Order: sequence, then C-alpha cells, then structure tokens
Amino acid sequence: MSALGFGVRLRVFLRSFAIQGSWNYRTLVGTGFAFALLPVLRLVHGSSTQALRSAIDRQAGLFNTHPYLSGIALGAVARLEEDGAPPELIERFKAALRGSLGTLGDRLVWAGWRPACMLLSVLLLLSGAPWFVAIAVFLLAYNTGHLLLRWWALRTGLEAGRGVAERVREAGLEPLRDRIAAAATFLLGCTLPLVAARGVTADPIRPAIAVLAGLAAFLGLRFGMLTRRPAITGLALVVAIGLLLGLVR
Amino acid sequence: MNVLGVGLLGGLVGLDATSFPQVMVSRPLVAGTLTGLLFGQPAEGAMVGAILEIFDLGILPVGAARYPDSGTATVAAVAAYSSIPLHALDPGILLLTVIFGLAWESVTGTSTVWLRRLNERLVLSTPRWHGRPGLALERLHLTSMLLDFLRAALLAASGALLGSLLLKPAAGRWVLGSEFAAAALAVAAATVLGALVSIFGGWRERRAALVLGIACGSLLLLLLR
Repeated sequence: MSALGFGVRLRVFLRSFAIQGSWNYRTLVGTGFAFALLPVLRLVHGSSTQALRSAIDRQAGLFNTHPYLSGIALGAVARLEEDGAPPELIERFKAALRGSLGTLGDRLVWAGWRPACMLLSVLLLLSGAPWFVAIAVFLLAYNTGHLLLRWWALRTGLEAGRGVAERVREAGLEPLRDRIAAAATFLLGCTLPLVAARGVTADPIRPAIAVLAGLAAFLGLRFGMLTRRPAITGLALVVAIGLLLGLVR
Repeated sequence: MNVLGVGLLGGLVGLDATSFPQVMVSRPLVAGTLTGLLFGQPAEGAMVGAILEIFDLGILPVGAARYPDSGTATVAAVAAYSSIPLHALDPGILLLTVIFGLAWESVTGTSTVWLRRLNERLVLSTPRWHGRPGLALERLHLTSMLLDFLRAALLAASGALLGSLLLKPAAGRWVLGSEFAAAALAVAAATVLGALVSIFGGWRERRAALVLGIACGSLLLLLLR
C-alpha cells in the first residue's frame, strides 16, 4: 500500500478531473497526466530540483486514457515513483496501460453508463415528468457512478501498483459493462414506442406517421450509426423545402 | 438577449465537455434546460435539449476522433429559440431550432480541433527549465483550460446572436405546419434511436432486452393515453 498521505491523494484526485485540460495531438493527455501527478512528484522528488524536472518531463510525454479511469494509471505510477522505480520501467508500464484503459473506459462509460442514464432521463421527460425531475435523475444517477468510478480507480492504482492490470481484470468491469448495455437497450426499447406514437413533442401523431417512424427505427437498427447523417440531411431538406415554399408564397 | 449570461453559461458548458470536470452539464439535455432557465423557459429548453440529445447520444468521444461540441451549440440554439416572441412549444420552430443547433455543432466541433492544435503549439513552446519545477506545466495547463472556456463562451454567444437573426425571419416563413414538423422530427429521432442499438452490442446480442423494452414502452404508452 502506498504511504502517500490523504492530502496528496485528494489533490491528485481533484486534479484528475482536469486531466484533459490541455489535450493536444502531440502528447494527448500527457501534460494533463503530469499536471495531476505533480503533488506526488513534488513530494517524492522535492529534495532535488533536477530529479523533479526529469520526473515531470517523463510524465508529460505521450499518454492516453479514459478520464474517469485515469486514477488507475495515476495511482500506479505514483506508487512506482514512490518506490524509486527506474524511468524505463515507468515508461514501459505507462505504454502498456495506455490503450487498454482508454478502450475499457470508452466501452464502460461513453457507450454504456452515459447513454443508459440519459435514456432514462429522456424517457422520463417524454412520459410527462417535469423537466427538473428528468435533469435531477440524470445528474444524480450519472455522477454517482462517475465519482465512485474515479475514486475506485485511484484507490486501486495506489493499492496495486504494478499489479494493477490483474486487479482491474478481477474487478469485473467487463461483465458490469455488459449489464449496463443490456439495461440501456431496455430503456431504448421503452423510449422507441413513445417517440413513434407521440413524437418528440408528446403531441399525438397520425397512425401512418407512427408506422413510418417504426420503419425508420428498423432502418436505424439495421444500418446503425450510418443512418445518423441521412436522418439529419432529411430533416435539413424538410426545413429547406418549408422555407422555400414560404418564400414563394 | 442576455449575451453575457449566454457566453458565461456556454463557456462553462464547453469546459465541462472535455477539459473540466466532465459532470455532463455539457450534455444537450442539461445545457438546454440551463439555458432555458436563463430565459425563464426551462421546459422549452429541456425539449430542444432532449431532441438534440437524441441525435448526439450515439456519438462517442473516443480517442482523437473528431466529434461535435454539442453542449455549446445547444446553449446557442436554445438562446436563439428563446428570442422568438412565440412562446408556445411550436414544432415548426422547434424543427428550425434543432437544425440550427445541429449545424452549429459542426462549427463548435471544428473549433475544438483548432484549440487542440493550439495546445500542441503551447506544449512545444513552453520553456520547461525556468522557474519553480512544474510551474510552467501548471501555467500551460490552466492557460489551455482558459482558452477552452473563452472558445466556448464566444461560440455560444455568437451562435445565439446568429441563431436569433436567422430563426426570427425563418419562423415567419415556415408554411408546412406544426403537424408536418412534428412528424419529420419523430421519424428522424426514431431512426437515430434505432441506430443506438449498435453501440450497445447490436441486435443479435441485445434483442431480448430491446423486445422487452418495446413491450414495456408500449404498455407505458397505453397508460399515458
């Protein structure tokens, strides 16, 4: 277990919320990673300016991760720095974590938890719930998961150090992701009949239009995200025709 | 129009999208409602936000991919919607607002790419060996975040002004009627909602959950009648 005090941990945790603040195409979140890790680096290498500068340079290089899981890498690298691990080992360790944390977080949060919470909120709104209920449910549900995940990630990284990959595997995030995706699909299924029959403004829609919306949903199901652009182009065409007719009259 | 308020809100929403703290006030549904609150029309803001949300739910901010900055665009779109004197939730004007919001998203998304290139230059030009160790890095990081805030604030405010200039005359020329607009929105929304199944694992993997959901949704529909 890391000997870093609660104050340092808290500062790293809070700074990790800004890890993507200087996102760029050269180092990706590298500079943000070093920014978040600075409290640890100052504590560990504070006695030697040269060692501290080298450590900052080392940590500010190319790195990428999902922001919510960045704590895993931050915690584990903090442990390595604390234990005086050689720079080459830290580099190799970071390179090994880089891709996997990004993919895991993208699947778990961006393609799972976030749309699931949002679909619940949209469903509430379309069912006639007041706007503040829909918004409160989304923000509370989403951020409970968000904050728990961030705190768990940092704690796991600090506890496991170099063995963090195994700890993450044992944590069962993939099965959790699968359950979240199933719940999100269920909520999506609940939303579809409402949109098809009442539209997005909850006004009654003619049966023929409802059937058309059902067919459109089937097309979306069949061709996936390829249908987003044609759907938007179709809407833009409707607007263009409507405005053109208005100009002619 | 409260341009300063729109700018400040847009800046905070833009910052939340990537830089800090990603608590999702930058999602169109939340950003739309907050903008609506600013203009005393939270329910209308939530509705515009919900529609834009449906169109953006399937866009994943993965790696270095280009994606729209939907929150900032939603702030601009809802502010523009609120500037129209017609205060009832009219599907025709809603459709015009949604199209404006979707178009403005591509502008805000492009600005994010420019900011990231600027960040790259900042990283390369930052002198690392002067002053207290780490200070230059902290300054660089905070400067990038400030630039992100300013970018979003400027685009939200300018988008709101442009949107209100475009929407006011367009609303007067809309002749296809509310029913047609509502139908067009419903069909397009159903298409992108159907497409979402692909990000949850696809039809083969999720058919049981989807069918069960549709059954429950149909039941809910009957109860709401």
